[in-house]
This record gives sequence, structure tokens and C-alpha cells, in this order.
Amino acid sequence: MSAPPTPDWLADFQHRFGAVLREPLDRATGTLTARVVRYAPDAVREIRDAANASAAARLAVYNRQYWFRLFSVLQTAYPLTTHLLGAWRFNAYAQAFLNAHPPRTWTLDDVPEGFDDALPALLGDDPARALLTDAARLDAHWRVLFHAPDVTPFRPGAAEAARLPDSRLVLSPRVRLWCERHALLALRPQLRADRETPHAAPPAHAAPAWFALLAEPHGIRAVPLEPREGALLTLLARHPVRDALAQLEAETPAAERAALPAQTQRWLAQSVARGFWVGLADTPPNPTLTE
Amino acid sequence: MSPIPRDTLGLALRPRHYPDFFARPTAVDYVEVISENFLGPAPLPRERLLRARAKGPVVLHGVGLNLLGHAPLDEAYLDALCRLADLIDAPFVTDHLCWTGAHGLSHHDLLPVPFVPELVALAAERAAYVQRRLGRPFGVENLSSYVDFTRSTMTEWEFVAAVVREADCGLLLDVNNVFVSSRNHGFDPLDYLRAMDFSRVLQVHVAGHSREPDGTLVDTHDHPVTDDVWALYARAWELGGPFPTLLEWDEKIPPLDEVLAVLARARTMREGLSTPRSPSNPSAEDRVRISFTNPTHDAKNPTLR
Repeated sequence: MSAPPTPDWLADFQHRFGAVLREPLDRATGTLTARVVRYAPDAVREIRDAANASAAARLAVYNRQYWFRLFSVLQTAYPLTTHLLGAWRFNAYAQAFLNAHPPRTWTLDDVPEGFDDALPALLGDDPARALLTDAARLDAHWRVLFHAPDVTPFRPGAAEAARLPDSRLVLSPRVRLWCERHALLALRPQLRADRETPHAAPPAHAAPAWFALLAEPHGIRAVPLEPREGALLTLLARHPVRDALAQLEAETPAAERAALPAQTQRWLAQSVARGFWVGLADTPPNPTLTE
Repeated sequence: MSPIPRDTLGLALRPRHYPDFFARPTAVDYVEVISENFLGPAPLPRERLLRARAKGPVVLHGVGLNLLGHAPLDEAYLDALCRLADLIDAPFVTDHLCWTGAHGLSHHDLLPVPFVPELVALAAERAAYVQRRLGRPFGVENLSSYVDFTRSTMTEWEFVAAVVREADCGLLLDVNNVFVSSRNHGFDPLDYLRAMDFSRVLQVHVAGHSREPDGTLVDTHDHPVTDDVWALYARAWELGGPFPTLLEWDEKIPPLDEVLAVLARARTMREGLSTPRSPSNPSAEDRVRISFTNPTHDAKNPTLR
């Protein structure tokens, strides 16, 4: 079979139709409404009026479907954030995000990518900005861990042990280090089906709480860490081991430094045993891996 | 690969039903999954897919092929789809006769095109190419649609039948989609069914739909199958049965038992209905042996895209 050419008009037709789909929905009336008057006349003229609906009204079905599907994808990917904001406010931020970052790949899994980075600017001076930013980051960790591939944990031999002081440990894609100021992890399993009513803010911790989030065969598990342990693991993921230990020591009050060598030895060994690392690297780290 | 017997019932398997589905003896003859949910590297979905496969045949149903996008088909996507189909030895793979993105953007919807001969040629060439790449039967599904283009010069059923014939590929005939489009555009759904070559039907989908305030029907898969759609299904069975039948339910999904009860209606209503036995509509026994021309793995051939 010879390859037929793609018709000249197809790209233009799909450009016009795509613009209709992405036309933002109007929130002014308290419901999400298609703004059919903003559809390009050329796009509307391509459609026949139906017996019960105008051409523009029929196009609006696709316009609404586009947004509602993507809102649903983002709400599912960011459940904590959705519940703390309530679906109505969440959708406003989602629409702003998607206007700036329309989906570009065939997988819906990519649609939420970057919403957590964009949210702080979208929130402006919202008094709950810190809490909502943390919630979005935790949701993002959950999503990334769910999709993390299987990896072989790092089990250092003699050669790696010798390289260790001057190398950086590479955090496993199946692990995220998480430090929270509010009890967001505890809230996550308590979320109700109702997304419309904003959930009350969770209580603040007396001091920041550290966890390792682990992708396991049947779900994601949060392992509590001691605060200095969390700080150590974060430093180890960002700097060569020698520099990380030096920085931790510098940050530790003098009265507690005597115990530090034994503690760091234990935490490091424990992290290796738990499969937190996948190897050694001499390159700079990926800053998104740790808080 | 083993074909699916014609007189079988299948379920679109969704995560909502995983616990019950995996905990019980298999209650359906086969399941269908959304291809894109298993193309990524995440181990958990893959593990669940293999568990489903261990219980019976699994067919793949895609929503991201973008068969009628203006841009060439995505070879990386096709590579991943071929690997997935091989992994589970899918009896067949299907996607939609539509476009889903353009100009570097993905709209994540099943979007219609004008029904014109030049798009028959494009869709048929691409569908044939996908089938060769897969090395197994590939079928295209008819859409529910809400718009009717002034540019169209053919009916939808002429368009669908021509694509399937010219591609020498399979058809996933969704009778709910036929019904929804017939109401939205004012045509007789029986005209549609009569134009289909049932010897090419890989399976028939049934599903529920919703009604907008202005009367437009929307393919939402969030309700039970309506009596009207079951009646149309019965006519399809009389025109071209037997064929594998699969129920889709994607929103407001009830418990598995309720879904299976809806699906069982297909078997109940088929009892007493006749099926045709003619050269153009082969018997159940013949249909098991249906295959399409030379469905072997081809190396990528960019000149064919």
C-alpha cells in the first residue's frame, strides 16, 4: 500500500478544533460554563447545527469534556491539595496551570507534572500558602513513587567503600525524603470522598517531622526518621559523603557532637540496609529528589 | 496467540474492581484493559496486569494512538504497545478511529473528523501499518460524536466500513456509540449496523451514556446500559452474531457483582435470537479462525506512515 499524504487542511482543522477545546471555562456564574462566544467563527462554521442544539453548543460538549477530564486527573494526582482547597478553588488553579502547560504527551500520567512547582506562584499571598505548597509537594512525591521503576539497591563492596568519602550517594527513585510542618501524612488516609468542601487544615507539628517515603510492592509506606537522621540523608543525597558529614557536624550543637559519629554510622548503615540508595555518583544531584 | 471464542462475555477491568476480581474465581471469559495505563515503567500496574492475564485472556484497548492526527504516528508509543501486547499475548489490540492531539499537544479526548475519502485512505494505511507492527489483529472503534462537519461527504458508517475494508483490519463495534451518535445526528442506527462487515468485528462494546439538558447524548460510561442500546445490541446479534461482547463502565462504577449482572443481560437476551449463517457472516466455529492478512511483525517502515 502506498502512503497517502496527510490532507493539507487537516492540520489547520485540528488547530482550530484544539483551540476550542482549550478555551478556558467561565467561573463567573459559580458554575463552570463554556464561553461559546469566544470560539473562533471558522471553527463554528465547520459544524452543522443540530435539531436541538447550535453548532457552538455541540462544540461546547468537547470544550467541557477537555477541562473536566483534566481537572479530574489533577484532582486525583493531588488529593491532599484538592481537599485542603476544595474542588472549586483547586480547579481555578488547575485551569491556570493547564493554560500555561497544556498536555503534550499521550499519557495522562504526565498531565500533573509540575503543578506542585507552579502552585506557590498561583497562590500568591494566600495565608495558607506554606501548608498548601507542602501538600502539593507531598502529593507529587506520592505520584512519582507510584510510577517509580524497580531498581537494584546499592550494596557497597570494598571498591565502593573506598570511593565513598568523595562520592555522592544516589537516592533511589523508589525513595523520597519528606519533612513536614503539619500532619499531612496522617491526613492523607482520612480524606473523604467529598472534594467540594475544603478540609480543615491539619494540626501543626511541634517541630518539623521527617519521614522516608518508600515505594513498596503493594503501596507506599512512610518510615519515621529522627530529625538529624533526615537532615543527614538529605545532605548525603546532595553532597559527597565527606562534605555531608562535615556540614551535619557544623549544624549540630556542640553538646551533641560527641554522639554524632556513632549516630551517623548507624543511620548510614540503616539507610543502605533499607535500600535507600542505588549507587555512587560524582555528578551534582537532582534537586527534586529531596525536600 | 489464541483467539477469543466468538460467543464470549468480557469486562473492561478497572482498578475499582481489582480486589474482588483477583479474590474470586474468574466470572468473565476475558477482560480488556486500557493500554496506556500499563505502558509506563511503574511495577504495580504491570504486576496487576500479569495477575489478570494469569486468570484469562486480556485484550488491549488504547486511547492514545492518535490514528488521525495530522502528525505521523508516534513510533515510541507503538514500540511500547508492541512490547505490552507481546507480554500478555493479547488476542487483539484496539484503538479509536479518531484523533487525540495535534501540533504537539495532546487533548486526551477521542475527537471526530469529517468523513471524507482522503481520510479513509490515511486511516486505512495507518491502521494496516499498526496491525503489521503489532503482528496480531488490530481493530478500530467507532466513536460517539457530538458534531457533524459540513466538510463530510460520506456517512459515518460508510467511512468506518471503508477504513476497515481498506486496512484489512478488525472493527471494534461499540453499539452504545452507534446509538449515541444516531440520536445526536438524527440517523437510523440500523442503517449503520447493516453497513458493517461483521466478519471483521473483533468484539462489540456496550456501555451507558448520559443526557445533557438540551437532549444531547454523551458517552459517559457512568450509567447502566439503556434498554434502547440493548435493543440495538440484539439487532446487531441478529445481523452478525455471534461476537465477543464487552461491558465498559468508567465512572460511578458500581460493585463488581452489579456490573456482572448488567453484563449477564447480554447472554440472557441472546437466548432465542437467531444468528446468520452465510458466507459473509461466518458461523461461530468459522469465526474462531478469523485472521487478517499477513499479521506479522514488520520492522518499522517510516515510509508507510
